[in-house]
Amino acid sequence: MFERALKGLRQQLGTQMMSVATVALALFCMAAALLVLENAGAMVRRWGAPVKVTVFLAEGASLEQVDSLRRALAGLPEVEEARYVSAAEARLSLSAGGDQAVANAPVELFPATIELRLVPSAVSAARVASVALRVRRIPMVSEVETYRGFTERLRSLLAGGRAAAGVIALGVLLCVFAVVSNTVRMSLAARLREIEVLRLVGATRSYIRGPFLIEGAMLGGVGALVAVLLLGVVYLTVRGQFEVSLGTLLGLHPVFLPWSVVASLVMGGCILGALGSAAALRRGLHS
Amino acid sequence: MRCRGESMGRSRVSNTFRPHFRPEGHFDRTAAHKPILVLEKVMKVFRADAPVLRGVDLTIERGEFVFVTGPSGAGKSTLLKLIYKAETVDEGRILFCGRDIARLTEDSIPHLRRNIGVVFQDFRLVPYWTVFENVAVALQVMGLSPRVIRSRVALALERVGLDGRGEEKVAVLSGGEQQRVTIARAIVPEPAVVLADEPTGNLDPVLALDILGLFEEINEGGTTVLFATHDRTLLEVSPRRLVVIDDGRCIEARAGLVGLGGVLDHGISIN
Repeated sequence: MFERALKGLRQQLGTQMMSVATVALALFCMAAALLVLENAGAMVRRWGAPVKVTVFLAEGASLEQVDSLRRALAGLPEVEEARYVSAAEARLSLSAGGDQAVANAPVELFPATIELRLVPSAVSAARVASVALRVRRIPMVSEVETYRGFTERLRSLLAGGRAAAGVIALGVLLCVFAVVSNTVRMSLAARLREIEVLRLVGATRSYIRGPFLIEGAMLGGVGALVAVLLLGVVYLTVRGQFEVSLGTLLGLHPVFLPWSVVASLVMGGCILGALGSAAALRRGLHS
Repeated sequence: MRCRGESMGRSRVSNTFRPHFRPEGHFDRTAAHKPILVLEKVMKVFRADAPVLRGVDLTIERGEFVFVTGPSGAGKSTLLKLIYKAETVDEGRILFCGRDIARLTEDSIPHLRRNIGVVFQDFRLVPYWTVFENVAVALQVMGLSPRVIRSRVALALERVGLDGRGEEKVAVLSGGEQQRVTIARAIVPEPAVVLADEPTGNLDPVLALDILGLFEEINEGGTTVLFATHDRTLLEVSPRRLVVIDDGRCIEARAGLVGLGGVLDHGISIN
């Protein structure tokens, strides 16, 4: 049956290639949307949990004062860990991505901070605001950054992105279904005599339908595979050029789609192709 | 000639005729001793005011060679289509090996067709397939092994005079050769019955006689043959049982045109 499906594919190679290209393009859009979401999700995870609070220290605070403040902050019930980051350490951390301009900047430009990690149960906007308010009152503290505004914006952006990806996915699914269905319908029309002969000599329904279903599944599967490979190439190109700046700006490195998503895309392509083919057969063979 | 599934000693499994009947049906073990085809008051109507077949009664014994003739549009092709279930009977019944084919389920129709070889005037071959592929398809649908298929196709091609031509595309063959391929495809599964629907219609007289000779050889091997034709020459050279269909009814003669006693000359016009 597989052999007959391959034979059918070879018979109309041009049409099949066009269909694979169309399916690949549609699935590429979907996979690209998933890739953006994957990285946005990683960003939210990086900046959103566990909740961090950065306490910027005023200039002139002695090390003893800073240490006593650190211990006082560590003693707060909402704080899990309080860590002192000196100006030199801040510069080193920011230039970790290889940015020479940052590495060569005067150390005075980087304020010393105390990084607070809150206990997970304290991760509510009100509790974080309460901690920030109390800390801000301490004289040697110049500023308190909670990052909540940024992460909230990121979260709402991610939710919007997910909704957009859902719409794209629906469009892509319909597109793949229609493309495979029409390709198989054309294949059926071109092979009517073959089907007539098969019926005449006593072929069962599954014997006739089988190769067309495989053909549809292969169109969908190969289309998905091409889409993933194309996305991989685009991803590697983009990452090569922007990895350093993204690392500096966002503090994370871009990631590709996990294997489970890649496998699901290819499997989904196969299933969608087979379904499109089944729809075409239902109409085509009946008529 | 026995229908598949009736001979206990046969080794073939996949192409046995074991139909699944609708609930009221039953498996008829005495089928082997019955005529291979029985048509009882068969009616077929496409247009209500002009039925194609009006109560046709016909019995065909195993191993018979029967000519079916009649004017164009008389219902010869329809009669054959009813037998291989390309059309369904409106009234009456058709018994194949003692079983009413109207009661076959959809799943059993392929098994019926594996027991009936059909040859058409327009060949109905797949032009982009080779001769071998066009013949082998009749065995592939039965799930036979490639080795068995190769040997049986080679044998069938030899029987129709096309040995060694298996690799040629059928599109490049002459009309007569294409008809031989069709005949090979019809006989390769060793069916109980071969139905030929105007198989010589597209061929010149010499080739037509040649093809008729092939069908006679097939019949000598024990296969029942129903040969629908317009061609009076064929009926004259081969005095066989003759069934004339006209105006939806059938008239029979056991010994060809002679036995018909001039019915053809006066009552029915044949091209």
